[in-house]
Amino acid sequence: MSRTGLRSLSAVLAFAVFLVDVLTPLEGAVAVLYIVAILLAAKTNRRDDTIVAAAGCIALTVTAYLVSHDLRTIASPALRVLVSLAAIGITTLLALQNHAATKRLAAQARLLNLSHDMIFVRDRGGVITFWNKTAEQVYGWSAEEVVGQLADALLQTRYPDRREVIEANLVGTGRWEGRVQQRTKDGAALTVDARWALQHDRLGKPVGVLETHTDVTDRVAAHSALVRSEQRYRRMFDASRIGVVEEDWSELRTALQSLDAAGASLRDHLARYPDFVRHARRLAAITDVNPALQKMAGANDASTFIENVDLLLGENDRSFLGALIAFAEGEPFYEGETELVRLDGRKVPVLFTITFPSGPDGDRNVLAFVVDITERRQAQDALLAAQAELAHAARVATLGELSASIAHEVNQPLAAIVTSGEAGLRWLRRDVPDLKEVAATIVHVVAQGRRAGEVVARIRTFLKKAPAQQDSLDIAEIIQEAALLVARELANDDVVLTVETKPGLRPIRGDRIQLQQVLVNLLVNAGQAMSDQRGSRTVMLRASAIDAERLAITVQDSGPGIRPDDMPHLFDPFFTTKRGGMGMGLAICRTTVEAHGGQLSAESTPGAGATFRLTLPYSQEHTRS
Amino acid sequence: MAKSLVIAIVDDDEGVRASLASLVRSVGYEAQAYESGMDFLRQAPGDDPACMIADVQMPVITGDELQAQLVAAGRHFPIIFMTAFPSETVRQRVMAAGAHCYLGKPSSGDEIIRCLEDALAGNGPQ
Repeated sequence: MSRTGLRSLSAVLAFAVFLVDVLTPLEGAVAVLYIVAILLAAKTNRRDDTIVAAAGCIALTVTAYLVSHDLRTIASPALRVLVSLAAIGITTLLALQNHAATKRLAAQARLLNLSHDMIFVRDRGGVITFWNKTAEQVYGWSAEEVVGQLADALLQTRYPDRREVIEANLVGTGRWEGRVQQRTKDGAALTVDARWALQHDRLGKPVGVLETHTDVTDRVAAHSALVRSEQRYRRMFDASRIGVVEEDWSELRTALQSLDAAGASLRDHLARYPDFVRHARRLAAITDVNPALQKMAGANDASTFIENVDLLLGENDRSFLGALIAFAEGEPFYEGETELVRLDGRKVPVLFTITFPSGPDGDRNVLAFVVDITERRQAQDALLAAQAELAHAARVATLGELSASIAHEVNQPLAAIVTSGEAGLRWLRRDVPDLKEVAATIVHVVAQGRRAGEVVARIRTFLKKAPAQQDSLDIAEIIQEAALLVARELANDDVVLTVETKPGLRPIRGDRIQLQQVLVNLLVNAGQAMSDQRGSRTVMLRASAIDAERLAITVQDSGPGIRPDDMPHLFDPFFTTKRGGMGMGLAICRTTVEAHGGQLSAESTPGAGATFRLTLPYSQEHTRS
Repeated sequence: MAKSLVIAIVDDDEGVRASLASLVRSVGYEAQAYESGMDFLRQAPGDDPACMIADVQMPVITGDELQAQLVAAGRHFPIIFMTAFPSETVRQRVMAAGAHCYLGKPSSGDEIIRCLEDALAGNGPQ
């Protein structure tokens, strides 16, 4: 019934009671019936309505009494009026009190409705008595639909434990918390964190349960997705054949920042202070390594490595510097090749990618992926060696053909000269020397001698102008290949080869294999020169531009150097200081280099190593184009 | 002087040919020079020389092929082979086919003449 309806009914009732009180001769406290009018007014839940109704009823009671009785006699009617007034007063007070309590409850219910949790109240039997707004939204049922229903049946709640145990727990402690599965009106599954509190009446008797439920479906799904992702990563980490190293570079970041150098100046700084790079290697902490990497390094478990990358990288590693610069410059990753040092000291050639994640925790989650390329390297070495052998064989064959043809070409005039000479002598020694014939033979000798000279000159021009191939060549590539070819041999002799090729060298023109063999020859010589030496054995190969037309390659060793007496003969054919050496290597090298329009020279300070320096002109075509 | 004997000289090298001819004439024989085996077969189909000095490496037909053709044609006269590339195999083959000498190039004039005179004297091959 509407508020206005209640007010009207209350007023009509009060007037009816007044009429009965005044017009009927009924003896009794008819005015007590005004209570009904007050209760009706109270139903509007308005404090003012109750007060107005009470005041009205009191006024009517007093009016009725004054109309029906005079004031002179105070007898039982007056007593009845007083009883009625008292009843009206008490009822009003109670109604007002009840109103206050209702208001308080309504405020509480409003608060519960504001909550983002689903909140409902059920009685001990499980019947729902209150259902908040969020419960309506999330579960899908309105309060009207659910009040009076059994909560467990409605929500198809599945508990982590037996229901009786949970209920016992609730009664025992007054609270219960746990995660339950429920269904919405649409049938969607919800994962819910439940917090229950037992409600007691004034006497402490449990009357109901306040259930507060937080929907954690999304959070649980996100978490389990995270767990799955982590498991996937773990599986990859554990089962991959690629070695994985988890590293923490955060200390390294701090150290780099304290350097106060960036960009190009950082490169210079790092190149100038190799000690910092060494220090940095110890700052790159390893947090975990996977089984593949343990196997690669010959270790039984990860704990051996839980220190820093310094252990894993060899003395001569240069890849770390590159990675460091990439890291400092904010590159997302760096790829390189290096040698990994096994626990037993053996070295494994590897290819690696190191990733530097961005984000606040990126520096702590640096990942390096490492692939063992021993087999590939061996295959590559074998291939290069085979190529070099083939080229050598081809050259020897060419040389054989060439010498056969030289022999024939030169032999014919020589044979003619000898024969003519002897014929001439015989003409001369005749009883009567035939000078005409003698002259003819001498003319013949001279002609054939000239012919022989021409043959030799022709061969020399041929050799000079004809390197077998005339390709446009990248010198850096040739150096790289030559270095690869000798890598195994040098490593076996504990010789450390460092190659420094200035970037952007222009192409040269010539025979790739021939030039490669010159470099191989120089590198192998350098290595062999140090074979009796204790202490560090290093070979430094540098390539750089001299001017706009030429480049220079130097091969410098840390060996005993060249004796001053040997120096002038170094490039003579058949000169050697090596046991069993043929003494053709340097002679051929020089010829080859000169045939390419360059020069090969040597310098040495005895005791301080030797340096071979070769210069080569750039390709002319390239200059023009 | 007796009627001079004809010595055939077969060599593709003009210089060698001329010097050998001079040498042969200096000891009193007549020299006939041919620049190839084919040249000899064409120009002297009937007249056998007293002796032949032939190069081994020659274009079209080699010295030993020339020898084989002559033998096949029933023409037997002493042949002295000269080569810049002495090879034991070839030596054995041509000697077995009746050659008189197998000399390297260059060889001394005395050696050549000794071989020649031996051949003309009808001594066996050496």
